[in-house]
Amino acid sequence: MRFLTYILRNARRNPIRSILTIASTAISLFLMMILVSFFTINDDVSRDSRAYNRVITLSSTGFSGVVPIARVNEITTMDGVVAATPFSWYGGKYNNETMPFAQFGVNPESFFKIYDEFTIPQAQLKAWQDDKAGAVIGRKLAEDRGLKLNDPLPLEGDLYPYPLKLTIRGIYDGPSNRDRRMCLFNWLYLDDGLKLSTAQRSGNAGAVVIKCKSGDLMPSICKKIDSQYLNSDTPTRTQTEEAFSKIFMEMLGDLKGMMRNIGLAVCFSLVLVAGNAMAMALRERTTEVAVLKAIGFNKQLILFLILAEAMIVAGIGGLMGTIGTKFLFDVFDLSKFTAGFLPLFFIPWSTALAGLAVSLLIGFASGFVPAVRAAQISVVNGLRKVV
Amino acid sequence: MIPLKYNYRNLRVRWISTLMTVLGTGMIVWSSCILFGLVDGLQHSLNVSGDPLDLIVLRKGSTNETNGGFEGRKADDIANLSGIARDDHGMALVAKELLNIPIAERNDGSRTNVILRGVVPASRKLRPKFIIVSGRDFEPGKDECIVSRSLSKRFKNTTLGSVLKVGEKESYRVVGLFTAGGSASESEVWVDLKDIERNLNREGFVSSVQLRAATPTDLERIKKTIDGDTQFKLAAQRETEYFSTQSRSSLLFKGAGTMIAVLLTIGAMFAAANTMYAAVSARTREIGTMRAIGFSRFDILISFLGESVLLCTLGGILGLFATVPLSALTYSTSVNFTEAAISFRFGPLVMFVALLMTLAMGVFGGLFPALRAVRLNVITALREV
Repeated sequence: MRFLTYILRNARRNPIRSILTIASTAISLFLMMILVSFFTINDDVSRDSRAYNRVITLSSTGFSGVVPIARVNEITTMDGVVAATPFSWYGGKYNNETMPFAQFGVNPESFFKIYDEFTIPQAQLKAWQDDKAGAVIGRKLAEDRGLKLNDPLPLEGDLYPYPLKLTIRGIYDGPSNRDRRMCLFNWLYLDDGLKLSTAQRSGNAGAVVIKCKSGDLMPSICKKIDSQYLNSDTPTRTQTEEAFSKIFMEMLGDLKGMMRNIGLAVCFSLVLVAGNAMAMALRERTTEVAVLKAIGFNKQLILFLILAEAMIVAGIGGLMGTIGTKFLFDVFDLSKFTAGFLPLFFIPWSTALAGLAVSLLIGFASGFVPAVRAAQISVVNGLRKVV
Repeated sequence: MIPLKYNYRNLRVRWISTLMTVLGTGMIVWSSCILFGLVDGLQHSLNVSGDPLDLIVLRKGSTNETNGGFEGRKADDIANLSGIARDDHGMALVAKELLNIPIAERNDGSRTNVILRGVVPASRKLRPKFIIVSGRDFEPGKDECIVSRSLSKRFKNTTLGSVLKVGEKESYRVVGLFTAGGSASESEVWVDLKDIERNLNREGFVSSVQLRAATPTDLERIKKTIDGDTQFKLAAQRETEYFSTQSRSSLLFKGAGTMIAVLLTIGAMFAAANTMYAAVSARTREIGTMRAIGFSRFDILISFLGESVLLCTLGGILGLFATVPLSALTYSTSVNFTEAAISFRFGPLVMFVALLMTLAMGVFGGLFPALRAVRLNVITALREV
């Protein structure tokens, strides 16, 4: 600590160089935070979903399979089940935009009992339940699009040959790591329409979301549901919400590995960039290091002084690039600009702190070679050198 | 003008610093080139998928053949329209197809949606260069399937001879592997239309109809007939247009790639600037001398900018050529929620990106150091130790 002033003064000697190194580190880490968070958010959200004790039933073939609507009531009466709702992806177009935001057909009576982390004013919930063509949307979606209560929300069918002429009856809110950009409507409204247009496609719940009484009941409920329907025409596959939400990340496949490789390449080039700057700084200070040694500083101390300087410079860049980025995205909502692709975006604390640690590591690696070389300078040669 | 040799020799004298900068910028150009090579690969596979004479018929309002379909008797009516091309054996090139999109597991255990396509004999003629590369074609009615060669390398139970299980009730024996000229079909599993209809319980239902018109005028006429028929409620799209709307999803990849490339380039600019600042300050006396013997400020500016561009070009070339061995690289990911293999493609897009990044780094990274060199006062510069 005694040498902190000395180290800081050294870091400030060539301000342009230090600023450029800091800026380079900060920008690269800013980028890495965005890339890494894209994956860690999903982990964060699906881990959090454990607390809500929900399981999801799909057809055993997957998303395109059929789950008959009668299953919802059958499952609701099972032991340990609090409530269940159909959860049917509509995938409609809004103002001719393809896939603008997620739309699901649900049961308005049970939906907010199952998703109890979401809040909605009682009067709005009542209004939604009373209007079969009513919809409830998330607060973020309402803000993005400037939608208000009682605004019309017409959706053009893409997956289904039946358009929905919805009216917004309620706006829900919830914790910041939950999807607040969904549009929910009454499943019956869609199904009644399908009965008229293409009867063979009606009666499909799409998926069933089930709230269990407690977390330890979840495995047995999953097993019970699947075994009950195993020999039916439409077998099911039931899994926890956590496992279910992981499918979407798994779909991206090799993309995750590719992002990791890019991250590694960026780190490696940062080590080179920062290392180069440190080496240049020390070349200019060769005589000085020799003087330090002449007046009695030992090798370890010199090693420490230089490594500390490199880590401080990289660390400042890292701090701006990680924690700074986190605060930036807390204020500025990136998901608005992804055309419905990302319903929410933030930098999890764990990701930001890991990034900061990486930046210190980069600092250490970049300072290592110059520091060792400086520590080994012989006093006589160093003093003789004219830079 | 100061000869370029001066810059080249300078880079060689400070070789450690040069090498580190070249490696650093090379790495950055390399990772951006990989991204854009994949974007290009995705675009390419969608481009070769559509033939200019082909039409794809979907339900009106639907944008993708995975989004539900229509009644099979409408498909039969379409097959009876005149002006549809025939192959050498007189088979009409019109195919009704039915899709199932089950969840399948990759070799690493990750899950994704895969297109299981029920096809008719004409389907093969409607894909570019469809060939069975090993095994044989499936026989109808026996629950057999053929798998694209590239998919078979990445998914469980898709190698020759194994049984692909779909959900709890369906299973198909893999009897052959196929390729289809790098088109979108190379991410699919094909079975007989009748088999899938029976297994899905969706007899008399199709996802899409694909057909090839005999001539461009026939194509216009068929399109008009289908679009205009109020009973049909169908829409015929040129396949080339259909695939280019599908490639809209590659916009996302492009957007992400551009963001990554731009940010990395800015990062690399700072690195180049750092190296160049050091170069300028180490050569202050030289710059003074050159000014004293008559080189103009402009000469100095061009010389240092040139050195910076040269430095970054070395990195750019290194990064660009380091992507050449990756031509065989294939990434497995999903586009529109279904499995798609994206192959790296070394083409004009990659080269353009590398060039643009290199120039941006070199010019903007070198500009401020070069300006500093220009502003040096000759007398003080000569006095420098």
